Amino acid sequence: MNRTKILGIYEDHEVLLEALDKVQSKGFKVKDVFSPFPIHEVWEKLDLHTRIPYATFIYGASGTAMTFAFLYWSSVVNYPLKFGGKPLNTLSFVIIMFVLTILVGTIMTFLTLLWRQRLYPGRKVEMPDPRTVDDKFALVIEKTDDLDDKKMEELNTLLKETGAIEIKESNVQYYEK
Amino acid sequence: MDKKLQLSGKFKTAMFVLIAIGIVTVVVGLIQNPVRMWANLLLNNFYFFSLAIGAAFWLAIQAITQSGWSAGLLRIPQAMSNYLIVSMILWALMFFGVHDLYPWTHADAVAHDELLQHKHPYLNLTFFAVRYVVFFLLWIYLTQRIRKLSLEEDKHGGLTYFYKIEFLSKVFIFVFAITFSLFTVDWLMSLDPHWYSTIFPMKYFMSSFYHGSVIITAIVVILWKQGYLPFVNKSHFHDLSRYIFALGIIWAYLWFSQYLLIWYANIPEETIYFVPRTLSYFKFFFYAEVVVNWLFPFLFLMWNRIAKNPNALLFTAVVLSIGHWIELYMTIFPDTVDKHYIGWQEIGTQLGFWGLFALVVGWSLSKMPLIPKNHPYINESLHHHV
Repeated sequence: MNRTKILGIYEDHEVLLEALDKVQSKGFKVKDVFSPFPIHEVWEKLDLHTRIPYATFIYGASGTAMTFAFLYWSSVVNYPLKFGGKPLNTLSFVIIMFVLTILVGTIMTFLTLLWRQRLYPGRKVEMPDPRTVDDKFALVIEKTDDLDDKKMEELNTLLKETGAIEIKESNVQYYEK
Repeated sequence: MDKKLQLSGKFKTAMFVLIAIGIVTVVVGLIQNPVRMWANLLLNNFYFFSLAIGAAFWLAIQAITQSGWSAGLLRIPQAMSNYLIVSMILWALMFFGVHDLYPWTHADAVAHDELLQHKHPYLNLTFFAVRYVVFFLLWIYLTQRIRKLSLEEDKHGGLTYFYKIEFLSKVFIFVFAITFSLFTVDWLMSLDPHWYSTIFPMKYFMSSFYHGSVIITAIVVILWKQGYLPFVNKSHFHDLSRYIFALGIIWAYLWFSQYLLIWYANIPEETIYFVPRTLSYFKFFFYAEVVVNWLFPFLFLMWNRIAKNPNALLFTAVVLSIGHWIELYMTIFPDTVDKHYIGWQEIGTQLGFWGLFALVVGWSLSKMPLIPKNHPYINESLHHHV
């Protein structure tokens, strides 16, 4: 469900982190943070989680299994050709399995990421404030039903106090879970 | 910040008891079965020597990369590299056992063996002893110099010491790479003087870096639990476990490279190395070496939450110290005693050496302030956050 969002624009990431703490301690729920570069602290402060590593593990493991299955089928079952006195089901599989584990793991993770974010060539990305890919940082607070005029007032002063250079509302729908 | 480690009387007594167990085991073992005991002594000497030199290498890497996160932990590898002095003394005793371990030291064996005659200019006892002295003096000089400079830095501050340490570390890694390779060739590979592998020294080089990092991690966790190093947080633990994880993979890579090339080429004089190791009673340890040293940390530390958990890291360190033992056991025992032994001799000697190592490291740590206070990046380490 898409709601109007209140954006506090900041100019410095240290200021933003302090503001994030203050806004959260006053009981407002910060929905998101936009920044030109990744800030690790935001992860912990917003309590964000990702399941991408699990996906990568599964892709890697299935990459190993599938590569082994293919090698076994091609050089043991379908076309058993002995060379160099080595057994058909050999140790030299390991190198190909190792390399393809990495390849399958990375490519599939990358595709998963694109799919989850609905990113594809030519997609026009919508964001509440395009300046956040340049040099500005934005705190996003969702305008929920319990935010009445009094609370809005409080939030506005709070954002001002913590160093926001601009406060604005935005209706842009950016992708969320 | 100037807090020093206080060694409790209990700890010292326990370590002295371990050393006493070790001494009794060694003496009784030397009377009963000298070859087995010399093999044990070589194993344990190399085990703890490689922990010490691996820690010194770890220290050098921190200085060269100008790492900030580890600035507060530098005293631990410094204390570990102090063990090199003790190791040099203990290693001198090994010369009484060379005839029991190294076939090329027997004049009659060399006389009837063309290959050993060919190798004689390098593999002879005089040059062997000279190399031992020169290598150890080089390592001790460089590591002690780095440690002294770091202590001076504590007193005076400034950037000069930082750059001096960085320069010395650069010298050290080159010296280390060459001398350590030759040292493994001397003491481990020449156990079977007919066999050679060019990747062999690299594997032990990586193993020493790997297991050195593991023991550094273990000491950090133990000190942190005791209340020293209050600044250490999840980020430090995560960085340390990344070292273990990455080095475990590189270790397996080298192990496999050596095995695969020998297996693929299938030349009798090369495959002979793996015959006693894979076909006889050593088979179990042959697989255990890879499973414990690579598969276990690879799967265990892969999970983010475990990688940051100090107790899990301590557990990993215990398992990997067994893995290090198995690795050296597989290197030394099939070539020397060529019978599968694990008994009170092996356990007793290992315990004695652990006591000595812990005592030396603990004592060195208690002699200097635990946190280097004037390191230029110390604040980055105290507030490390990823």
